[in-house]
Amino acid sequence: MQRPNYSNPPPAHSPPLHHPVPQHVSTVPQLRSPPPPQPPSQPHSGYGYGQQHGGPGAGAGAGGGGYNNNMGPNFNNFMNDPTAQMMGQFGKTAYSAGQEYVEQNIGRFVNVSALKHYFNVSNSYVGTKLYIVLFPWWHRPWSRQQRMSNSGQDGYYLPPREDINSPDMYIPSMALVTYILLSTLLAGLRGAFHPELLGYNTTLALLVLLLELLVIKSGTFLLSISSSSQLLDLLAYSGYKFVGVIISLLASELLTHLGLGGRGGWAGWLVFLYCFGANAFFLLRSLRYVLLPDQGGQGVGVGGGAAGYTVARSQKFRRTQFLFVYSYVVQFGFMLWLSKV
Amino acid sequence: MVLFGLGGLLYVSVLLINAIAILSEDRFLARIGWTSSADPGFGGRDEASVKARLVNLVSSVRTLMRIPLIVINTFVIIYELILG
Repeated sequence: MQRPNYSNPPPAHSPPLHHPVPQHVSTVPQLRSPPPPQPPSQPHSGYGYGQQHGGPGAGAGAGGGGYNNNMGPNFNNFMNDPTAQMMGQFGKTAYSAGQEYVEQNIGRFVNVSALKHYFNVSNSYVGTKLYIVLFPWWHRPWSRQQRMSNSGQDGYYLPPREDINSPDMYIPSMALVTYILLSTLLAGLRGAFHPELLGYNTTLALLVLLLELLVIKSGTFLLSISSSSQLLDLLAYSGYKFVGVIISLLASELLTHLGLGGRGGWAGWLVFLYCFGANAFFLLRSLRYVLLPDQGGQGVGVGGGAAGYTVARSQKFRRTQFLFVYSYVVQFGFMLWLSKV
Repeated sequence: MVLFGLGGLLYVSVLLINAIAILSEDRFLARIGWTSSADPGFGGRDEASVKARLVNLVSSVRTLMRIPLIVINTFVIIYELILG
């Protein structure tokens, strides 16, 4: 207790006077202000790691080659173990952090498990669904089936494999890709192929999907429809029109080859109008549970209760109007835009 | 051609948000009765109507997007000056 008190006041003259460090470290005495490194069994914190790393590095930089040769084996023995440990730990941490980051960020934008639900299709489902999209006139039950979860009373919708009325993402995504390739192929058959057409058609299709989502989202916001359906449902439903567009494109091209009306002739228009009508009817029936969630009398929307009966009535009328306008007028515009490539 | 022409959509949306954000509360919106402040004496307003929703949307956009719009507009202007 006494001696440090005495020796502390003149710290400026202390470096040449005392040599407290062990022999092998005394080669770089003035840089070794922290206590000499402990044996590697000691648990290392981040602070200790930084200190040990900085000390020998600085010593080597100041001392040059001679010092390095002197402390070579010691240096290796001393640095190897903790560094390896630290690097291993650090790598593990970084890897897990990166994985977590990717999972978080992808999972935030795209719910992977929810997406898997939409791709759970079977052959018979795809065939029947395509038939329904093209010939929706005689399809009878349009409501989606729910299944009660075993814990609570909230039900969840059945996957497309088990419910024919459930929206899927398989048909829309395949139809989107097919549309892009087909429209470019048709342009190639006309002798107007250009690689940029692929990008252009992709942009057009994505733009149509985006605008449709925007339209239906703003519609549900303005009409204050609080539906429990997800964005992916709407995306899937808006993707079904590519099927009709593909059929009408193919048919008009075939009819042109057969000489039955030219491009944009009456036969092509007829096919287009039929596909549009079928798709609009399909959407009108399918989107009912999205836009008119107060079906069957439970819950009258935001008006609420028996007091807002007239309000709910007018709201329902307005919603029906919006549904009609969306599935006929808006779809007509978009399908026309898509099939005029 | 930013992103195969999706840049046009970006410009349109930025311009539309600008157009909403530039509306003056005192000089324009109050005159045509599109302010969101309810009259205190006249009971509850019809919150579910389309007009109420629109008013709410306009005021929300004006409040929320004011600061980000400055940044976005600056970016777009610089981009257009350099590369446009």
